[in-house]
Amino acid sequence: MSENIQNTQEQEVRSLPRIGSKAPAFEAVTTIGTLKLEDYKGSWLVLFSHPADFTPVCTTEFMAFQEIYPQLREMNTELLGLSIDSVHSHIAWVRNIEEKFGVKIEFPIIADLNKDVAHKYGMIMPEESSTEASRAVFIIDDKQVVRAIIYYPLSTGRNMDEILRVIKALQTTDKHNIATPANWKEGDKVIVPPSPTQEGAEERMKDENLECVDFYFCKKQL
Amino acid sequence: MACIDDKGNLTATAKKILTAVKDQSLTAEDVANEAGLPLFKVRSSLRDMASMGFVFQNGDSYQLNEKAEKLLNRGS
Repeated sequence: MSENIQNTQEQEVRSLPRIGSKAPAFEAVTTIGTLKLEDYKGSWLVLFSHPADFTPVCTTEFMAFQEIYPQLREMNTELLGLSIDSVHSHIAWVRNIEEKFGVKIEFPIIADLNKDVAHKYGMIMPEESSTEASRAVFIIDDKQVVRAIIYYPLSTGRNMDEILRVIKALQTTDKHNIATPANWKEGDKVIVPPSPTQEGAEERMKDENLECVDFYFCKKQL
Repeated sequence: MACIDDKGNLTATAKKILTAVKDQSLTAEDVANEAGLPLFKVRSSLRDMASMGFVFQNGDSYQLNEKAEKLLNRGS
């Protein structure tokens, strides 16, 4: 019996997507109809799960996600929520949020009653809860590759500024072939990847457009 | 059937999409631009409406099926 439980948990861990892997395909019932992952091809996607409808932390998060939705759309990024609740529960909850807090939720929410998507994305942490999804965030790029994964426990609401920052950093990396340092924000200097050759490293130290502390640590302003 | 409401009428989104493909064959991207709707929503709705016979698909393009024109004009 305990072996079975262990096997099941190992399978769930194995199904967790990794950064750089293709995002697992899905077809799911949502508050706007049936959606497939491939419907988002060409735009970035924040796929996030929440434990349950009509709960306080999730309500604050939903209002916060809605608040950044216009900024995300300016960054060619869509939002898609998920919980193990029914479509009718989702509809009742978003109506309640609008009625009680004056915030209209405009992004779709997956009704993952059979936990199909939650299992594919490893959103359930059995040690924390086997009936609710944890607070997972998958940032999927326009080619449907997983680019970042963030997990929060049930008790801690997510930070929207960090989600915006990660997407901006990833898109800046893609556009300019650079990396971003700790606490980077748009407008800050970026990291130039170290040269893989000695000759390149020596040339880099002479480059007046770069601020180099040493060959492996060069920054520039975009 | 996210494109039909409880009274059997087209939803506002479905109406916008069908109007866009009424007289021309368009890709989902073209429909999204013309109707001012998010591309993921257009793709989902077009799939739904193609399965119901409201539009027919030719390669990557969609066009209104004449049979659905009555539905489009209803209530307008």
